[in-house]
Amino acid sequence: MNEASGAAAVRCLARLRTQRQVSDSGLRLLELELPRPLAFAPGQFAMVNLVGPAARVFARPFSILASDGTVVSLLYRVVGGGTGGLAGAPTGTVVTWLGPLGRPFPPPAGPESHLLLAGGVGLPPLLAWRARHGGPDDLACFGARDVADVPWELLGPDWQVAVDDPGPAPAGRTVAHGTVVARAEGLLATGGAAAGGARRILACGPLPMLRAAAALALARGWPCLVSVEERMGCGYGVCRGCVVPARDGGWLTACQDGPVLEAGALDWDRFGHREAGPGASAPPRGCGCGGPEARS
Amino acid sequence: MSPRPAWFPLDVGAPFRLGPRVLPGRIWTASGCFGYGLDAHDITADGFASAHAGIGVVVTKTVTPEPRSGNPQPRLCELPTGALNSIGLENVGLAAFLAEKLPRLAERRVPFVVSLAGTAPRDFGAMCAALAAAARDVPGWHGVELNVSCPNVAHGGVDFGADPGTVEECTANARAHLPDRVLLTKLTPNVARLAPLAAAARRGGADGVTAINSLIGLEVDLSSGRPVLPRRIGGYTGPGVLPVALAKVDEIVRETGIPVVGVGGIASADDALKFFALGAVAVQVGTAQMRDPFAAATVAASLAPAGG
Repeated sequence: MNEASGAAAVRCLARLRTQRQVSDSGLRLLELELPRPLAFAPGQFAMVNLVGPAARVFARPFSILASDGTVVSLLYRVVGGGTGGLAGAPTGTVVTWLGPLGRPFPPPAGPESHLLLAGGVGLPPLLAWRARHGGPDDLACFGARDVADVPWELLGPDWQVAVDDPGPAPAGRTVAHGTVVARAEGLLATGGAAAGGARRILACGPLPMLRAAAALALARGWPCLVSVEERMGCGYGVCRGCVVPARDGGWLTACQDGPVLEAGALDWDRFGHREAGPGASAPPRGCGCGGPEARS
Repeated sequence: MSPRPAWFPLDVGAPFRLGPRVLPGRIWTASGCFGYGLDAHDITADGFASAHAGIGVVVTKTVTPEPRSGNPQPRLCELPTGALNSIGLENVGLAAFLAEKLPRLAERRVPFVVSLAGTAPRDFGAMCAALAAAARDVPGWHGVELNVSCPNVAHGGVDFGADPGTVEECTANARAHLPDRVLLTKLTPNVARLAPLAAAARRGGADGVTAINSLIGLEVDLSSGRPVLPRRIGGYTGPGVLPVALAKVDEIVRETGIPVVGVGGIASADDALKFFALGAVAVQVGTAQMRDPFAAATVAASLAPAGG
């Protein structure tokens, strides 16, 4: 497998091995058993769907958290019928699998350390990246709405945690009040967490978080890669449903050009803008996740 | 796997003649649902040589005279029985298609039909002339499907394809430049009757018609009380349109006898068989291809004769 471009996709059936809640707010950790071991690169995703009458018209995208032989872990939140159906599926349920798909977060390109910014259900790519490529000087920050939304068991003590709404952290853990990007900036400014030197920012989370990460990178002159989310149809590049605005005026597909893109390749002014057509609505962005995680 | 019924005589994987051309097989992918035919070649699955295995023809994403950036988000809206799309004919434009996509299609030996759309009848002639000049020596280029009925585009669209005179004119303009390739005209279902449009296509020289394009649909976001899609309406496709497509195909076959390529809601071999039962000469898999890149390949494998 090429770590920079990712592994090629496999289409198969998988079996639901386990799933359980890993945050008080309902983030769920799902394990699927595949017919054979899966290679993936951090940031890649898979399209998963139930089969039979419970199948949705479109499969749902999930970032891959980890693979251990034939067992693959995904993290998701119930935001609609697709993920709701999955949450209600018992052990042994057969699902369709298409993945890994998309461009991953690349491995370290040089001596610089990294700033990892994860928001909500945008955590899997960066957990996977850190497990595979993380260095001692990297700074990893996770942000969520409140402490109930923090999957503490997945976050080692070396992850900084920030929440929008303050609340008590579990024993032995600390939580900062504010956005994850503000938390990272604060740590960098005070010299904590090996603040010196240039960093490459890797970010996956809701759009406001990605926007702030891109702004931080621009201000510091650092490279920045973001994993983008958009409603997906096919997941493999043919339907053009999941486009995000490119800086050159065109579009990039979240599924094939991304989900990991250079922050500088995106038109941040247009990103997330739902055109107010004649009577058009601006649907809510959904679960506040990052990356291509299932949103409906 | 769906068993082949006794009444079904066709080998869907065998070459068959349509107009001036022998086509490689009868299970195709629908325009807009498999890109330009250049995707999914590296996706693997047990039992298949590739996601393109068994596909008779890939109908490309619709190509227009100039590049189109397409519609803003949201472009998709999933429904219980299908999906609405509002892609807006995003495509690279004819010049880039010929320069960048055509050589790769030739290199990969993809059997393909190019879907073309214009904003005026004369566009179809000019596009076919350019395509024929560039693709003349590409063996996998089997023909053209005229998209005169996409409901997503603010200019042209439904009214354009709903008028028999315009359909005939577009078809005739294309035919003039396609002496040895298949010419299909894809018809809109958003009219009372399709037979007159099919007859118009035949008068224009079409070798057959493709039926149906997407239905016009609209979904309302109840949290805002407003349409979900930015153009209000979108193209409704998927399992819910299958009976509509069958009725339209039946109407065309019985009233005109013109060869019909059936499309609309096909997700299984059984769905495809229903079109063949009504007399369709080939079928296209569309929305199902977006859920599973092996959908058409699976239909083709399911309908293959035993031991074939």
